[in-house]
Amino acid sequence: MNQLKIGDIKSIIHQIKIIVDQHQDMLMELDSVMGDGDLGFTMTKAFSAAQTESDISVEMIPGKLLMHLGMIIAKTSPSTMGTLIATGFMKGGKALEQVHEIGSEELAVFLETFVKSIMDRGKSVPGNKTIIDTLYPAALALRASANELQPLITGITAARSAAMKGLEDSTQMKAQHGRAAYYQDNSIGKQDGGATVGTYIIEGFYQHIAKSQN
Amino acid sequence: MKKIMNNPVHFVDEMLQGILISHPNQLTTVSGNLRCIIKGGSGKKNKVGLATGGGSGHLPLFLGYVGEGLLDGCAVGGVFQSPSSDQMLEVTKAIHQGAGVLYIYGNYGGDIMNFDMAAEMADMEGIKVEQVIAGEDVASAPKGEEGKRRGVAGIFYAFKIAGALADELASLPEVKRIAEKTCANVRTMGVALTPCIVPEAGKASFSLGENEMEIGMGIHGEPGIRRGVLQKSDEIVQQMADKILVDLPYEKGDEVSILLNGLGATPKEELYIMAMKIHQLLKEKGIRVFNTYVGEFATSMEMAGASISVLKLDEELKRLLSKPANSPFFTQFQL
Repeated sequence: MNQLKIGDIKSIIHQIKIIVDQHQDMLMELDSVMGDGDLGFTMTKAFSAAQTESDISVEMIPGKLLMHLGMIIAKTSPSTMGTLIATGFMKGGKALEQVHEIGSEELAVFLETFVKSIMDRGKSVPGNKTIIDTLYPAALALRASANELQPLITGITAARSAAMKGLEDSTQMKAQHGRAAYYQDNSIGKQDGGATVGTYIIEGFYQHIAKSQN
Repeated sequence: MKKIMNNPVHFVDEMLQGILISHPNQLTTVSGNLRCIIKGGSGKKNKVGLATGGGSGHLPLFLGYVGEGLLDGCAVGGVFQSPSSDQMLEVTKAIHQGAGVLYIYGNYGGDIMNFDMAAEMADMEGIKVEQVIAGEDVASAPKGEEGKRRGVAGIFYAFKIAGALADELASLPEVKRIAEKTCANVRTMGVALTPCIVPEAGKASFSLGENEMEIGMGIHGEPGIRRGVLQKSDEIVQQMADKILVDLPYEKGDEVSILLNGLGATPKEELYIMAMKIHQLLKEKGIRVFNTYVGEFATSMEMAGASISVLKLDEELKRLLSKPANSPFFTQFQL
């Protein structure tokens, strides 16, 4: 498979939901160290709503579905992370409004727009110990792979490794945003909840694309 | 946890139903949505709409300042949670009278993102929106980093003064200017004696010892400047004044309005004991007090503690502050 169609997008959303559900407790725990402890709850709420909506949607254009799911997440999960992810889906989806199939190039555009919109919305950049620190390297990896005209699976595998590496790197960073910023130097060495969520999103794409290879 | 409530999940909606049923002529919803509260009656044509929003758990903040000479609407979030952008958009559309809408809210990440999104969506619907973010807690970031400061009780002054000017049918840029000017001239500092409990969480997110206080703690329990043994009122006020007065700075000959705010479980008696000291300290510095507000303006559920806000006045701010205002939570006759 080298092109994601509407059914693939629905499966990916479902996959992300499963991964987030499996890690709810872990997210709660990460967030209670430096945040207000509700990240696991808000993320399962966000992706459950997105999956329910995606299942019943009759939308045929992947980008439009992704955009719509962003709006649903914004409504159901107005927490900081919910709003950032909602923005990513809305803007990322909008960038693909015109296409019916998502190949390496389109997926790179989606993820680039996704992370760029989060940077704008959250007024942040890479290096501040946020979700950007996993999604940004993933987008770069996907872009490099798309430029070399590599197949989808190669790109998403590289993006997944980059996100994992980004998560490791971000653990050593000092938090600059949100409540975690109050902990300054004490945040160094602690894994960031938002950055972790970033890896789950990439993982959802990866698992579906990997499964569809045979 | 000891609270008078039913199901914690329905805490906010039941509170809102109670407010609406108690004040049916003053407040209403946008199309039945409890989380979108607006002023009752028909709005003034060509008046700039003023909206705020934020988490529940801070009454009378935020919706308590929807009223005459104050705000036109408020988006209401869960306890300590931002309302959603579409709730804000609904409020925006409902209060737009052809002259645009100004958002005034506190400096918190979730609120900022959701208001930004709402402003973009409103723009797509042809409604001009401007935003003013209040952040005046001197304990939350040092001088020079004012943009990082949390918004606390001092936001009341921005609501009051911008509300008075909007009522005179001033333009959107004018109302925005006065709100910014107010925010730039107010400083606040707080002290917490006990934590508060979010109903759905069921337990406090931090603890304070029996004989402890935390100076500078935020209204969601954000870490303050110093935790230590509970001191006498005069000593607490002295420390707060020391931080506040040098920050602006407030100087000899200035005229100010002061606000003593209880965080939820501190009685007015204690606030008035604090008032005595802050008046004395200001007098010693040659700063004249125009008026004093004492009561609950921005709370944190059942947290014990208080904050002091000081607003530096000029003729323009004084005139607008003095005008009458009326909401179910705040009433003022001409000062």
